[in-house]
Amino acid sequence: MAQEMLKASANPLLPVVCKVTKIVDETPDVKTFHVTSENGKPFTPMPGQLGMVSLVDVGEAMFSVTSQGEDHLEFAIKRVGMLTDALHEMEPGQEIAVRGPYGNGFPIDMCKGKDLLFIGGGIGLAPLRSLINYCFENRNDFGHIQIIYGSRSPADLCFKDDIFNNWPKQENTRVDITVDKGDENWTGNEGFVPQILEEVNPSPEGKVAVVCGPPIMIKFVLQSLAKMNFTDDQIVTTLEMRMKCGIGKCGRCNIGSCYVCLDGPVFTLKQLNNMPNEY
Amino acid sequence: MKIINVEKIPEIIKKWQNDCEVFVPVDNEGAVDFIPWSEGSKITLEGNSLVPPKKLFFPQTETLYKYETKGQSANVIALEEKTAQRIIFGIRPCDLKSLEMLDDVFLTKGFVDPYYKLKRENTALVALLCAEACDTCFCTSMNIDPGAASGADIVACKSGEQLGLQAQTEKGEELLNKVSQLTTEGEIDFKKAGNFKLQADIEGLAEKLKEHFESPYWEAACRKCIGCGTCTYLCPTCHCFDINSNTRGDHGIKTRCWDSCMFSEYTLMAGGHNPRPGKKERFRQRFLHKLQYFPERYNKTACVGCGRCLAKCPAIVDITRIITELREVTGIGTGNVESVS
Repeated sequence: MAQEMLKASANPLLPVVCKVTKIVDETPDVKTFHVTSENGKPFTPMPGQLGMVSLVDVGEAMFSVTSQGEDHLEFAIKRVGMLTDALHEMEPGQEIAVRGPYGNGFPIDMCKGKDLLFIGGGIGLAPLRSLINYCFENRNDFGHIQIIYGSRSPADLCFKDDIFNNWPKQENTRVDITVDKGDENWTGNEGFVPQILEEVNPSPEGKVAVVCGPPIMIKFVLQSLAKMNFTDDQIVTTLEMRMKCGIGKCGRCNIGSCYVCLDGPVFTLKQLNNMPNEY
Repeated sequence: MKIINVEKIPEIIKKWQNDCEVFVPVDNEGAVDFIPWSEGSKITLEGNSLVPPKKLFFPQTETLYKYETKGQSANVIALEEKTAQRIIFGIRPCDLKSLEMLDDVFLTKGFVDPYYKLKRENTALVALLCAEACDTCFCTSMNIDPGAASGADIVACKSGEQLGLQAQTEKGEELLNKVSQLTTEGEIDFKKAGNFKLQADIEGLAEKLKEHFESPYWEAACRKCIGCGTCTYLCPTCHCFDINSNTRGDHGIKTRCWDSCMFSEYTLMAGGHNPRPGKKERFRQRFLHKLQYFPERYNKTACVGCGRCLAKCPAIVDITRIITELREVTGIGTGNVESVS
């Protein structure tokens, strides 16, 4: 009857031990961790889905899976607190624990056949990257891809190899990078993301805008998109909340009657406008 | 119906205890608590327990798994399952109803919580109907019948010195068969509780609350709340929990423990952002969760009218009064509340 319910396959709270196989320094406070379990990937997420990552003796927190390979997952993690401090101190070979996938992920069906406009700021590019990579892997399913990404300084740009080399080389793709303030070697755009967005001035025709970044960037990006006549159901974003269980039981990540861990983290602006302003 | 003199209850329990653990309400220095019965335990059949029996399915602190760490290596060890059968004797209709809400949370929406499920499956429920309302309870306002106990394996009701026992499930039938030598066949004259001093009308409220998230009412209503969280711990439907690591040397246990939406750390994110930074937001969350969000998500009001929150609140925050005030705020009128002298 109730046999083996606490064991891994039947217990959604029991994590899988994974090895950190590679650590990439993205910026002074962001590192990307490649993790793999004994049996390869601990799970296969869809773009925008989440994984609960833990150093078992320190703590657990929810992160978006920024990318995946044949046998590994990638988490890009900014150093902001106790657990992320400890994660940043790790060396390759460290064993951590991972469970997932959680959340709804990006609405692939809604994006199929459309042009996509990605707007990201800082570490906000991490969740977008999972969908961007998915689009390039399934290039014929999507139209023109436009990526606008910015950070405080050139050093704070994440995934430099992707944004400067891999993505601009893709067909029917445009990448605009900006920094708030450049340094002596910077020859690119200077200015905030919403400014660059207004200069690029994309038409909303047949497009889905996928936005993630700091709250202040999102606020002004949404104003600009409204000015360009993007409707609220054409704008998609992904949220962060404190989470403990990831499976809709522990209570804390609710916005009204929605649980971000189950019903999110991805919402259209139209959905968000129908929810209490408490996130 | 099987009948037994209340003095003989320990004999029934003793029989059942042979092959399972029996939890009974015991008065422990003024606070009634469900504890495993042992010789000499004084079972109380009056009133209700201070801490709801949800603790037997969703313990205040519970180990999820064990782990080991050594240098760079880590190991996660699943717990062995306990399969011992349990009986809860004397669960009240309100607390019985709360298990339906906890079932919704822990067993539905795509993920089954195995820790909760195991305990639910291993537990038989003997409900005790209410012949008298406490000063602070209002189950009938939450559409709960103090004279019925759907979901219980056995329903018990007391009249004078007689206790009637009626099986409602196969499991209950088996349990009564085990003690058939102690009981006689018969009927008893049971009158369920009426005359509730507290009342509230939730009819139509959930749909209306949506438009009143930003109401100035919340600022005023939260003023006397001191954010202690007592209401959430004593609530039979509150289910929030935290997950923690408890490490000693190179090994440890991952535990979960009751948490409360009344605490600021509950939603505080690394980096400092807090979506519910103040008392107003947290107070509003607690009441909207019970009266609007839970009904929207699970089609049930997350209150069973047990009255523990208002009985033990140091600031006398009274959910029935809040419901009544919210009826005014939302403009749906005072509702159907009989005046009780």
